[in-house]
Amino acid sequence: MGDISFLDRAPGDVLARRGAVPVTAGRYLADVAALAARLPDAPYALNLCADRYLALVGFGAALARGQVTLLSADRSAHRQRELAGRYPGTYAIADGVETVIPSILAGAWGGGEGENFAIPEARVAAIGFTSGSTGEPAAHEKPWAALVAAARAAAARFGLDDAADQATVIGTVPAQHMYGFETTMVLPLRAPMAIHSGPHFYPVEVAEAIAAAPGRRVLVTTPLQMRALVAGGISGVDAVISATAPLAPSLAAAAEAAWEAPVLEIYGATEMGSIASRRTVEGEQWTLYDGVALRVEEVEAVSALVPGLPEPVPLADLVEISADGRFRLIGRRGDMVKRGGKRASLAGLNRVLSEIEGVEDGVFLAPSDLEENPSARLAAYVVAPGRTNADIVAALRERVEAVFLPRPVVLVEKLPRNELGKITRRSLEALRDALPGEGGP
Amino acid sequence: MTSTTAMTVLEAEVAALIVGALQLEVKPDEIEPEAPLFGEGLGLDSIDALEMALAISRKYGFQLRSDDERNGRIFASLRALSAHIEKNRVN
Repeated sequence: MGDISFLDRAPGDVLARRGAVPVTAGRYLADVAALAARLPDAPYALNLCADRYLALVGFGAALARGQVTLLSADRSAHRQRELAGRYPGTYAIADGVETVIPSILAGAWGGGEGENFAIPEARVAAIGFTSGSTGEPAAHEKPWAALVAAARAAAARFGLDDAADQATVIGTVPAQHMYGFETTMVLPLRAPMAIHSGPHFYPVEVAEAIAAAPGRRVLVTTPLQMRALVAGGISGVDAVISATAPLAPSLAAAAEAAWEAPVLEIYGATEMGSIASRRTVEGEQWTLYDGVALRVEEVEAVSALVPGLPEPVPLADLVEISADGRFRLIGRRGDMVKRGGKRASLAGLNRVLSEIEGVEDGVFLAPSDLEENPSARLAAYVVAPGRTNADIVAALRERVEAVFLPRPVVLVEKLPRNELGKITRRSLEALRDALPGEGGP
Repeated sequence: MTSTTAMTVLEAEVAALIVGALQLEVKPDEIEPEAPLFGEGLGLDSIDALEMALAISRKYGFQLRSDDERNGRIFASLRALSAHIEKNRVN
C-alpha cells in the first residue's frame, strides 16, 4: 500500500472560483494549512459548510490532520447530535449554520502558497450515509484510493481531463451529498477543472455563476433542478451532468435543445460512488466507468466491483447486463424509495408511523412517478382514532426527513389488509379512489 | 395595519399560488398568515422551495435567491413571503 498525493494540480491552476475571483491550487493549499492549524485533535470532522469552497478547505484541512470527514447534507441539530453520538470526538467545521456540537468556523486565511501532502491510499478519507431500513443512517467508508480512482474515471468520462481547456463546474448539489462530494469536492483536487463556490440553488444564482466563469461551463445538477433551470431560461451551459434520480428522456432532450449541450447522466449510490454514465437521449444503456465491473451474485442480485473499495457493493437496482458489458435498469430492489436524492425504506417508514402514539395501523404509499415528478410525494394511510392529520405529520417530522413526509395523510377506519395481513398497492389505490374529495378531513 | 390573522388580497393570492404549485392538502384560506412555511408549519422542504421559486418568478417576474439570512426571513411565513413579493415584484 502506497501513498497518493492530496492534490494533483499545478500550483498556478485555478481550482475554485468564489464569485468571479479565481483561487489557485497553491492558494488553496495555503488555506488548507491555515485551517488545519486551527483544528482540534479529534478523529472526526463533520463538514457542514454551505459555501462549496469553504467545504473544500474543510475537507482538505481534516485530511491534512489525518481526520475522517463525515458527510451529511442534512445539517439539522438532530443529525448533528446523532452523528456526534455515534462517532465520539466529532466536531463540526461550519460556515454559518447553527451548530449544537463543538465547532470550528471555516475560513480562507492562507497567505502565499501551501505545501501538498500525501495520504495513505487505504486511509478512510470520508464517510457518507444512507438511510438504513431501520431509520438509523448506514455508514459507508471511502478510502482515499477509491475517491481518487473515481475522480480519475469521471474526469476521463466527462472530458474534464484536458489541462489545456479547463472547465468550471457549477454544482447545484450539496457538497456533502455523495454525488456532489465526488463531482465538486474530489474532482477539482485531481482533475484540471475549477469549482464555483455558489450558492447555486435558485436559477438566478446559477446564471450568475455561469456568467462569472470563463471557458467551458459544466453544470452538475439533478433532474429537479434541471427542470427549474430549463424553465428559468438559463443560457451558456456547455455540458450537463445529472444524477440522484432517473432523468426523463423528454427533459434531457429539452435541456439539450435549450443549451445546445450534451446532457450526461451518472449512475451511482452513496455506498459505491458513481460507477457508470450515459447520454440520456441516446438510450437507456449505461456504460461503466473505467476500472469498474459488475458481478452477478444470484438471480436478480448484482454487485459492483469498484477500484479502491475493499468489498463488492450490492446494487439497489435490478439490472440487465448486455453482452457488451453495458447495462440497463429494470427496477428497484426491495422496498426502497427515493426522493430529492435521499433514499428511505418503506418498511422503515411504516415502522416509524406505527410507533406514533395513537396510531393503530398505518402504511406509506409511493406513487409510481415519485422519482420523476417533482410534485409527487409519498402518501400515508393511517388508522388513528382521535388524532388529526396535523398530529401525525408533526410526530413524523421528528423522525422522518422532510422529503419523505407524506402528503396527503389520509385517515381511514381500517386498512385493507388481506388474510395474510398484507396490504396490496391495488387495494390502497382502491381505498383512496373511494374516499370523498381530496385528502380526507 | 392588518390584524395577525386576516389575509390581505396579496396574501390570499400568494396562498393560492403556493397551494396550487405544491398541490398542498390545505385550502389557501387555511394557511395561517404568520405560521412558518417550512418545518413546523406547512412542513415544506427544499424541493418545494424550488417549485415556489419557479411559480413566483412566473407570476411576479422576479427571482428568489438563497442568501441564507434573508431566506430565513422570506419563508418565515406567508406574510413575510408576500411582503417580499410586494417589494420585489415586476408584474
